[in-house]
Amino acid sequence: MTSADSAHTYFTKAARIMDVGERIETLLMTPTRELRVQVSIELDNGEIRTFPGYRCQHDNARGPMKGGLRYHPDVSSEEIHGLASLMTWKTAVVNLPFGGAKGGIAVDPGTLSLKELERLTRKFVDQMHEVIGPTRDIPGPDVNTNPQVMAWVMDQYSKYHGHSPAVVTGKPVELYGSRGRDSATARGLLVVCRQILQDVGLPMKGMRFAVQGFGNVGSHVARLFHDAGGVLVAVSDVNGGITNPRGIDVPGLFEHVRRNGTVKGFGGGEACDSNAVLVADCDVLVPSAMGGVIDKHLAKDVRARIVLEGANAPCTPEADAVFEERGVLVVPDILANAGGVTVSYFEWVQNLQHVTWDEERVNTELERIMSEAYEKVGQISRSRKLPLRTSAYVLAIGRVGKATVLRGI
Amino acid sequence: MSISTQLVKKLVQIPIFGGLTVAEAAEFFEVAVEDSLARGATLFREGDDGDSLVVILEGEVQITRKTVELSRLSKHNVLGEMSLVSEGEVRSATATAITDVKLLRIPSKRVQKMIKGNNVAALKVVVNLAQVMSKRLAAISDRFAAAGGGATTGKKREELADFGRILTTWQF
Repeated sequence: MTSADSAHTYFTKAARIMDVGERIETLLMTPTRELRVQVSIELDNGEIRTFPGYRCQHDNARGPMKGGLRYHPDVSSEEIHGLASLMTWKTAVVNLPFGGAKGGIAVDPGTLSLKELERLTRKFVDQMHEVIGPTRDIPGPDVNTNPQVMAWVMDQYSKYHGHSPAVVTGKPVELYGSRGRDSATARGLLVVCRQILQDVGLPMKGMRFAVQGFGNVGSHVARLFHDAGGVLVAVSDVNGGITNPRGIDVPGLFEHVRRNGTVKGFGGGEACDSNAVLVADCDVLVPSAMGGVIDKHLAKDVRARIVLEGANAPCTPEADAVFEERGVLVVPDILANAGGVTVSYFEWVQNLQHVTWDEERVNTELERIMSEAYEKVGQISRSRKLPLRTSAYVLAIGRVGKATVLRGI
Repeated sequence: MSISTQLVKKLVQIPIFGGLTVAEAAEFFEVAVEDSLARGATLFREGDDGDSLVVILEGEVQITRKTVELSRLSKHNVLGEMSLVSEGEVRSATATAITDVKLLRIPSKRVQKMIKGNNVAALKVVVNLAQVMSKRLAAISDRFAAAGGGATTGKKREELADFGRILTTWQF
């Protein structure tokens, strides 16, 4: 089951609880527009290669659509459609004035040179520049795309439409990017973590946490949670992991990763595999790597009291049901990891206003938005006795629904 | 008449012949008669006896009722399917060839005989026919409801407004 499939499962569950009816469900699920384009480039050796490119614009009731561009061989129109809808719900949960979109190219970027990647990106923009734009649809980085790719998108789009930094987010800080974007997702997770710990009556200081993944999300989670007083007891990346019930030396770990490029082999703990991190004895588990890593069997062995979904859909819907039964609290992806898109929103706002915020302002605003979202989801969860995930979807459907009703169809 | 395997494979893609094996289809179409019409010729008129099922193989046929065009049917569309199950059914519309047309006629009497003899192919076709008909009926009911003819309430449905009311029962 892909993350898109599980999003659909949760959407349907919430929509049925709200009793919105089959036709409204269809209205909310069906994308506004799906674009499929041919992205043909000449390789450095003169060969011509053609890749399919996609952009799915799911819903714009709440504002211009927002969502990443991914370069991956598995990209397909179904996957992009599912992920676009996930963005609609995510932007609604954190109350950003955005709808949802997603796009990408079915290509393995590892096989392309930097120049080829640039040509590919520019050609893709040539093919879709008419449907994106600062007031229409604003792409951002996703799997295998980075600030450099976003800079090319901005440059190519600007050739058609004049200087337009707000057409894309996740740009380099030197080129209209926002401060605080790197650590945004992790910082959002920290805000949510603080609040849920308060709700269950655990102090942040001394809280024991485990992190799967040491990339853009996981590494910042390790650092920020540690700085806030948490004790890192297990961590892993694709190569392997380490555990230490008495606490891993986080600054030492960063030094080790800087030198070796992986957490594997770090001396301050016992070596373990990636799954062992998921079942480590801890208070808070933050799966921040791949989707679908916690299935119903593994869910029985998870010892954490709280699961914060740093990645998209790390728990399968069956695992989610096991957690609900066992009373393990799960903060769902569409709430927990929404810090990333929130700072993308700040980047867009700064670009539209031609201003630059300092990092402190970014972090303060991020904290406010994440904390309001958690509060709202928590209210629905308490008043309706629903798990946090269903409550988040209820909130999202409610907000998108209200905008749809007010605007008319 | 024996028809080519290639044509049989095309025919089983038509919904009412779906699920027939190539052998069953060949058996079913054994009773079929190939026919052709010149442009402008009438295939049947409204009120005629419905005595056969017709599959268009080539060309285009216009369906009219009281001179109003209802639709145009072309290659691999089927006409007169009701004649298979209701004896004495008359044609409900007029069919006219608007190009030169090649078609396959399947006499309903022969099919009804096959059904009585528990012929698997014919029974499958009838089951398919029931499914096609029930879908059409549902579509007509939907259109009827959408046109404000909601049979139970007699009142126009306001789904968007209903949705808005549902949302007010939740605190966001």
